[in-house]
Amino acid sequence: MKLILSDKHINILLQKNSDIELIDLSKCKISNCIGCFGCWTKTPGKCVIRDDAVKIYPKIAASDKIIYVSKIAYGGYDSVMKAMLERAIPVQQAFIRLLDGETHHLQRSVAEKTAVIIGYGNIPDEEQDIFRELISRNAKNMNFKNYRIVFTTEDKLEQSVEKEVLKWEEY
Amino acid sequence: MGRILILNGSPRAPKSNSKQYAEIFIKKCPAETKYFNITKTNHAEICDSIKLVSDLLLVFPLYADSLPVTLLEFLKYLEKHHPKNKPTVSVLVNCGFIEPQQNDTAVKMIRLFCSKNGYPFGSVLKIGSGEAILSTPFRILVCAKIKKLVYSVIKKRYLTLSVTMPISKNMFIRASTVYWENYGKRNGITKEQMETMKIEDF
Ligand SMILES: Cc1cc2nc3c(=O)[nH]c(=O)nc-3n(C[C@H](O)[C@H](O)[C@H](O)COP(=O)(O)O)c2cc1C
Repeated sequence: MKLILSDKHINILLQKNSDIELIDLSKCKISNCIGCFGCWTKTPGKCVIRDDAVKIYPKIAASDKIIYVSKIAYGGYDSVMKAMLERAIPVQQAFIRLLDGETHHLQRSVAEKTAVIIGYGNIPDEEQDIFRELISRNAKNMNFKNYRIVFTTEDKLEQSVEKEVLKWEEY
Repeated sequence: MGRILILNGSPRAPKSNSKQYAEIFIKKCPAETKYFNITKTNHAEICDSIKLVSDLLLVFPLYADSLPVTLLEFLKYLEKHHPKNKPTVSVLVNCGFIEPQQNDTAVKMIRLFCSKNGYPFGSVLKIGSGEAILSTPFRILVCAKIKKLVYSVIKKRYLTLSVTMPISKNMFIRASTVYWENYGKRNGITKEQMETMKIEDF
């Protein structure tokens, strides 16, 4: 499955019958994670908050190709995308393993991903460096096999997303 | 000695580890402190208090390798409501994994906020194994590091500190497995149930 997860509406035309799903998080009801660990210790694999996030994290888990589209804030994801990523921890188990010499959680049934992260805004170099560092850390917790980061401005965002989708459709 | 405002950015602030870390800080601090849990509705009230302090201590957990949304939202508000005199910002961050350096990116984000908005940056304490360390004998290591943090802030001799359980990673994995197994047990959930590969019903 291929998924585009965006924090704002993007106007792109997807080919008919394509297996690409586009989710506009700004239209979804996603409240903040409350850190209760219910998804690990009470109802494993399920978040106790039953809003739109519970339909989205299974799709994130199932995708082997994924594009994240997010505004950048202080070198990280801005609130809309960040809230979704925090709500996605039911895809992991509580239990910890060693990965590349570091401690990380075991994953449930999460497909290995080729990820493209499109960060938009006016992003100075220092902020881009922090975002790169963040994604290299996320890669371990979010099961990225490989990833690419694209920085763009808000007015060129749709073109940037379209370019990445075209690459998917070519292969 | 200035006054220190302590903000808890944990989404579960009233019952958080961050609250316990903040309490240790307050207990060891000879200077006047004021404490808030950051909520969705008290950003303005906190900003009123920021005007009156020389130092701000942000206490928060690492969430998905970065700042919890609770804290992020507050920083975005603060960016629009700066006090005239900006306090020095220090950080006490804890993460679940054993490596305190997994907190580094989050610390860089706070530094970036500070440099972008003209807040002097102060001390840092990075805690690894922060979910469980306070309920182990290693609690004393944390208390000692927090004391160091306190004095670095009040003496304005800022430091970057870190602390974690002084055990091997494999031992940490075994201990954390028992920790989480017991967590599940208290909810009537077995280890096998916790290990389900299913996400929702897929
Ligand atoms: C949504 C979520 C995301 C988390 N992400 C991380 C992480 O990326 N790395 C880590 O080491 N711990 C992570 N943790 C664990 C917390 O940082 C840890 O449990 C911490 O002690 C919680 O502190 P608090 O009680 O002050 O909120 C996460 C926990 C939650 C609920």
